[in-house]
Amino acid sequence: MIRFNLPDDGATMLKDTAERFVADRYGLARRGEMLRKPDDQIPAHWADMAGLGWLLAPVPETAGGLGLPPVQIVALLEVLGAGLVLEPVGPVVMRCAATLARALPDAEAVLAPVLSGGCIEVMAGGEEAAPITAMRDGERVTLAGRAPLVVGGAAARAFWVVARMEGAPALIRVPADEVRLTRFRLVDGQAAAKVVFDGVCCDAGGVITGCAPALAFGADMGLLGMLAETSGLIDALYRATLEHVKLREQFGRPIGRFQAVQHRMADMFIAREEAQSMVQLAAEAMESADTGLRARLVSAARIKIAGSARAVLRDAVQLHGGMGVTDELPVGHMVKRLLVLTQMGGNRATHLKRFREAA
Amino acid sequence: MTDLLNGAEDEAFRQEIREFVTANLHPGTRDKVARGAPLTREDFARWQQCLFERGWVAPAWPVEHGGPGWSARQRLIADEEMFRQHTPPLPGFGLKMIGPILMRFGTPGQQARFLPGILSGDDWWCQGFSEPGAGSDLASLRTRAVRVAGGWRISGSKTWTTYAQYANWIFCLVRTDPQAKKQEGISMMLVDMASDGLTRRPIRLMDGTEEVNEIFLDDVFVPDDQVVGEINRGWTYAKALLENERFGIGGVGRSKHLLQRVREMAEAAGRGADPEVADALAAYEIDIMAVEATTLRLLNAAEAGARIGAETSLLKIRGTEIQQGLTELMLEVAGPLALPEREGEGAEAPFENAAYQFLNWRKLSIYGGSNEIQRGILAGQVLGL
Repeated sequence: MIRFNLPDDGATMLKDTAERFVADRYGLARRGEMLRKPDDQIPAHWADMAGLGWLLAPVPETAGGLGLPPVQIVALLEVLGAGLVLEPVGPVVMRCAATLARALPDAEAVLAPVLSGGCIEVMAGGEEAAPITAMRDGERVTLAGRAPLVVGGAAARAFWVVARMEGAPALIRVPADEVRLTRFRLVDGQAAAKVVFDGVCCDAGGVITGCAPALAFGADMGLLGMLAETSGLIDALYRATLEHVKLREQFGRPIGRFQAVQHRMADMFIAREEAQSMVQLAAEAMESADTGLRARLVSAARIKIAGSARAVLRDAVQLHGGMGVTDELPVGHMVKRLLVLTQMGGNRATHLKRFREAA
Repeated sequence: MTDLLNGAEDEAFRQEIREFVTANLHPGTRDKVARGAPLTREDFARWQQCLFERGWVAPAWPVEHGGPGWSARQRLIADEEMFRQHTPPLPGFGLKMIGPILMRFGTPGQQARFLPGILSGDDWWCQGFSEPGAGSDLASLRTRAVRVAGGWRISGSKTWTTYAQYANWIFCLVRTDPQAKKQEGISMMLVDMASDGLTRRPIRLMDGTEEVNEIFLDDVFVPDDQVVGEINRGWTYAKALLENERFGIGGVGRSKHLLQRVREMAEAAGRGADPEVADALAAYEIDIMAVEATTLRLLNAAEAGARIGAETSLLKIRGTEIQQGLTELMLEVAGPLALPEREGEGAEAPFENAAYQFLNWRKLSIYGGSNEIQRGILAGQVLGL
């Protein structure tokens, strides 16, 4: 049931801490330095984020986490998204840990090294268009296929591969030194990897089957994380652009006094409000036992927010004028992060279809 | 359609509304609303009588004035459920506009005299704000009232007066101090439609209906006890009036009702399985969901003590954009079947009102403060531009 309660103290505290953290550790210059580091290293603040409890926050208590509800977690991810952080909190914690916590009986022991900030493990595969397959031959299982773009994969110690085995989804842990790995950075600077699994072998005993509900839940949690980051960025772009149009003067007055600019800013405000509403809606849906409702609302949020993000991206650049297309203001960097977030996680047609079919 | 307002404790309330509507709504009215056909005075009056007898006619009024004591959440549920059951949306000029203003700024005498008639429907009110020269720039209005013994005499004209042909009262903004600054010399007065010197000219709209009128006031006498609040404070009352029931202006119930009709038309036109139409319908459903979610979020914030004011303009903008967009999708689905004249031999259900509704609903982005004015309100009052 959807309640739309206001953020409680827990969420507010989490948000405040995250805002201070981002203000202290990030900023364009520092972020630039981080980007000059090799992409196979764990990003600088991973361990500190673990120390703050952020990695444990969304993980259920049964798997050793803090079990904070999604509505609180999105507040954290909104700040991290707006702060353009380079640590892969979304892929590792929202998607991978959420999946494993529901798929593994010994999730606590498996997740401990990751969530304590010592290493990174991420999900790979699971895309319908290019499935990774697992062929079983007696006690051995051989993988075939590749994951073309795994965010957080560049510094990962292991991959949790979503493969199709005997017609059903299976989950298989593959150490990074057993795969062919190509590391690169995305357009926004985040480290990612192309991972080829062809010929990788493992013990059939290590394959986790019957985990479809956990995979679906984890995929939606991962999506929720991305939506929260997107909403945070929309808010940040709205604020930056609003400040700009109040300060930038042309024809003897701030450009925000012109009606054409005012109406575009009003639309940006609307996009921000609707994005926040939809993130909250999706977060509340993640707590529902009704998987159809969950699928519908997460896909609905994705469609609405991706559309809003594109519009905000356009107007933020346009209203910043020439400065909007440079690399010297946060706006350009935020735009690139938005682009990454909206290009991933399934396209509009896929989500519209899921929305319709889950009715 | 996913109902976001679907708590277990809400279900009994929903059920109560549903049963009441089923038992009481006139089938002819129901049918017209379901088809998007124009409604008559009788459709509204009959339904108002039912709601009045049940004590539900003024959902937002305080109990002491005859309201049902519903929470804001229940009001949204009731609105949604009533739309779903094809009830006619009652004109708000009495119930949503002047009624609450009289409760807040009227004298006890005015409250006792006017509120019962608003509830029962014995009085039908219309709104005298816009003038031929004062639309979006309402404060430039020129209809004036001059002081005479025992009251005022009004001269001027009002326009876009919805359902004035049914009304026996009109609340007017008039200029009482021509020397004062634009907003400061305006007063609000209650005028008997049967007054000497008041005449009406219907304005025919492009969809063939006569919903609106022009009202001419030629030296119309208004006694002192029909002035609202203080003289020259009318602008303040008008703003308060437009802020009433702000959380309902997204029109979520109305949008869902229209979406359902477009769905039915798509089926009837054999395009129910057309992925392009299905995707468009899904996209509108999501847009409506975003307005509903935002309504609830703002409402909860307001109930928790946050100051939510002009933010709600976004609900009007998005709600009307969605509704107008849906009328376009309706045309897309109906194709040439939308074209025969409504009452003529060629009209074919369920498409017979599609073109007319498209034409009629152009008004949504114009009335109640045009969407350009609403964006200006957001920019000025919320964004500080």
